[in-house]
Amino acid sequence: MTVATGAGARSSDAEKFDLAAPLPVMSRQVTQSVIDAYAAASGDRNPIHVDPEFAAAGPFGRTIAHGLMTLAYVSEMLNRWTGGAFDENGEIDIAFVAPVFAGDQVDVTGELEEICDREGRRVARIRLVCKAGDRQILAGHAYQPTNAENK
Amino acid sequence: MSRFRRYEDVSVGDLIPPEPLSFEIDSQVCGAFLAATGNDADLYGVCDGDRAPSMIASVYLIDLLKARCSPPGGIHAKQAIRFHRTVRTGECLSLQGRITDKYVRKERPYVVADFEARSADGELVSSGRITSIWGKDQ
Repeated sequence: MTVATGAGARSSDAEKFDLAAPLPVMSRQVTQSVIDAYAAASGDRNPIHVDPEFAAAGPFGRTIAHGLMTLAYVSEMLNRWTGGAFDENGEIDIAFVAPVFAGDQVDVTGELEEICDREGRRVARIRLVCKAGDRQILAGHAYQPTNAENK
Repeated sequence: MSRFRRYEDVSVGDLIPPEPLSFEIDSQVCGAFLAATGNDADLYGVCDGDRAPSMIASVYLIDLLKARCSPPGGIHAKQAIRFHRTVRTGECLSLQGRITDKYVRKERPYVVADFEARSADGELVSSGRITSIWGKDQ
């Protein structure tokens, strides 16, 4: 994996990344405290995330983590793989297919499926693999322009 | 009268909000976001002009979603987002969305909105699509 560039680096400084390198696996332990901290940081205080009494009457019977929190883990994983290039011109297209609950460990990685053309760009198509235990929690792909496309 | 918008009152073509929102990429907001997501990558800094995480989008998208005035209890079903360049702390972005579809599936009311975030000089920073299950009408 390419070493990340330093803080304050210009966007054009993102180093070339190795398409052949396996995508990293990132794990996060999700607790209600983690969910609450994310709610405070993001401003998303939807009671389905932070109010156990409200959430008990909802479709999942208890609070669930924010989908965008899981997506932040995915983004971090992709930036680690690309040496920060994902921040510059990456793309994600996903569906949240199952909830993440307090107590879950979330594991995030991806598999390079192919190099293809997408909307005029040559991109690596990555199938995202995101699980909480045995449950798939997110389905979809990331698209990362190959080095030749990175300005 | 509820301060929340009813599903039946959502229409394709609605702008969210009617005038673009302003969002400053504040260093404290970035710091809190990185801490909350356990991201300790050295890509990012805390001074104005330092690179900020692209997924700070997940903070400004909440501002956009709040502007819909949807009832509590809604669920984020799908998300597409494309980044067009990096963002930096201290930048001010302009955000707006547009309802592009609404439908009911398995008795769940869905709303689809496309959005764009632009820099002060109009450069496209991110764009994408949010699909939500509308919260229960109050």
